[in-house]
Amino acid sequence: MSQMLEMNQQTAKPEAMADESKQSKELFRALFYRSPIGTYIVQNGQFRLVNRQLAYISGYEEDELIGRPSLGFVLAEDRDIVRENALRMLKGECSLGYEFRIVTKQAKIKWVMETVAPVLYQRKRATLGSLIDVTERKLVEERLRQSTLETQRSNAELEQFAYVISHDLQEPLRMVSSYTQLLAKRYRNKLDADADEFISYAVEGAKRMQTLLHELLEYSRVGTRGKPFSLVNCEHVVDQAMANLKIAIEECGAMVSYDVLPTVLGDEGQLVRLFQNLIGNAIKFRREEPLQVLISAQRRQHVVTFSVQDNGIGIDPQHSQSVFEIFRRLHTTEEYPGTGMGLAICKKIVERHGGHISVQSQPGKGSTFYFTINMAGGESA
Amino acid sequence: MSTQTARRSADILIVDDNPGDVRLTVEALNDGGMQNSLHTARDGAEAIAFLRRQGKYGHAPRPDLILLDLDMPRMGGLQVLAEIKEDRALKDIPVVILTGSHDIEDIVKTYNLHANCYVTKPIDLEQFIRLVKSITNFWLTIVNRRRRTAN
Repeated sequence: MSQMLEMNQQTAKPEAMADESKQSKELFRALFYRSPIGTYIVQNGQFRLVNRQLAYISGYEEDELIGRPSLGFVLAEDRDIVRENALRMLKGECSLGYEFRIVTKQAKIKWVMETVAPVLYQRKRATLGSLIDVTERKLVEERLRQSTLETQRSNAELEQFAYVISHDLQEPLRMVSSYTQLLAKRYRNKLDADADEFISYAVEGAKRMQTLLHELLEYSRVGTRGKPFSLVNCEHVVDQAMANLKIAIEECGAMVSYDVLPTVLGDEGQLVRLFQNLIGNAIKFRREEPLQVLISAQRRQHVVTFSVQDNGIGIDPQHSQSVFEIFRRLHTTEEYPGTGMGLAICKKIVERHGGHISVQSQPGKGSTFYFTINMAGGESA
Repeated sequence: MSTQTARRSADILIVDDNPGDVRLTVEALNDGGMQNSLHTARDGAEAIAFLRRQGKYGHAPRPDLILLDLDMPRMGGLQVLAEIKEDRALKDIPVVILTGSHDIEDIVKTYNLHANCYVTKPIDLEQFIRLVKSITNFWLTIVNRRRRTAN
């Protein structure tokens, strides 16, 4: 601050204004010493001029730094980075914003980012360096990297776990199921009425568990057995989904129609499954009146938002998040059969395609499912 | 037609490490009153010994049909299949992969090793019985093959 005032006083004097050289020297001093960036001049490998911010970053006093070899502060493993950039600077190439670690007077390691440029200092070749402390950013980056890795690892583990249990539990379950059925087949009406009832509950329970395991396996396979993405025509995808549901659609006399649908980058088999589950859901939760399902798509920049709209029973808005959870059911098995995995599988497929899924609904009037998918091809670029 | 009328009792080799599965297959095979000679091997190594009449299997018959599970200790079904299909003396015996797995990778691998067909065991008992009957009916009566006794 005192130097700034000094400068103002000097510029106010007409005789000083003439002395442009003196003024630029003062300007340099102000810029150099007041800069919030560590700034210094190195000549013959030693600090010749340093500012307060460099002293602050390095933990030394300014006069302690003068005359010391500049490379001495750099962590031994990182000295090559600094040398390479000094050479690049001498060749007139870019030597901006490279990062390395220094050791402070207090023996703390800090990450810094440096830029160097060749200058003349007292008529001899020198290097003008500027440096900022990026330790905080590096720590945050590292933490983020670690937690991303950790999340990926635990997700993969969880998928593998779900796959293994659902796969390996099928064998013993098949035994339970087959032998209770064999009991039922061979001993029905040969034991008493209680025995027949018990056996029938055991048979039903085993069958239901088999369906649940099968769905859980499907769910885990979205992540573990997905195909690489390719260009997929969504009109073909919806046609396939409708062909798979042909009998159900014909039985309830549903009108399923779609607008012009785009081509996207994705896993075709999974996209068929996605539409099939959503249309199948509409068929299952239809009202008395004829079911109408309309599929459309809207594109905004790289993202396509698909909507699947029906005039079914709708979903209470308080469940609009939880319907996508695994094994989540809003009705009893007697009202609507199912495992509660259909929409969870949809969510997993959409997320694998970098999108998200949601539902808006008016109970008693219908639901609209929305999901997003990244647009494929060069035309969106 | 002569193959049907000359239908003798067939030898069927069931290769499966799970006694519950073996029994179930036996129940299904016996369900229609069909009288076939059923033989079992508890793993791949036993199956190969049976087929090559090694050790205690010195007088084992040559099976007309092999029902092979995949997931077994010691020697798995894929290895058994590979050995059978590489053996000139055994390769014409039909091998039906009968397993609990729906895994597409297993399906592709077994056909590449010349499995005659791949069938997933259904959970439903009645379906399983129908399946076993149609397998035996197809391979033992419908298909024209060289038969030792019939010829």
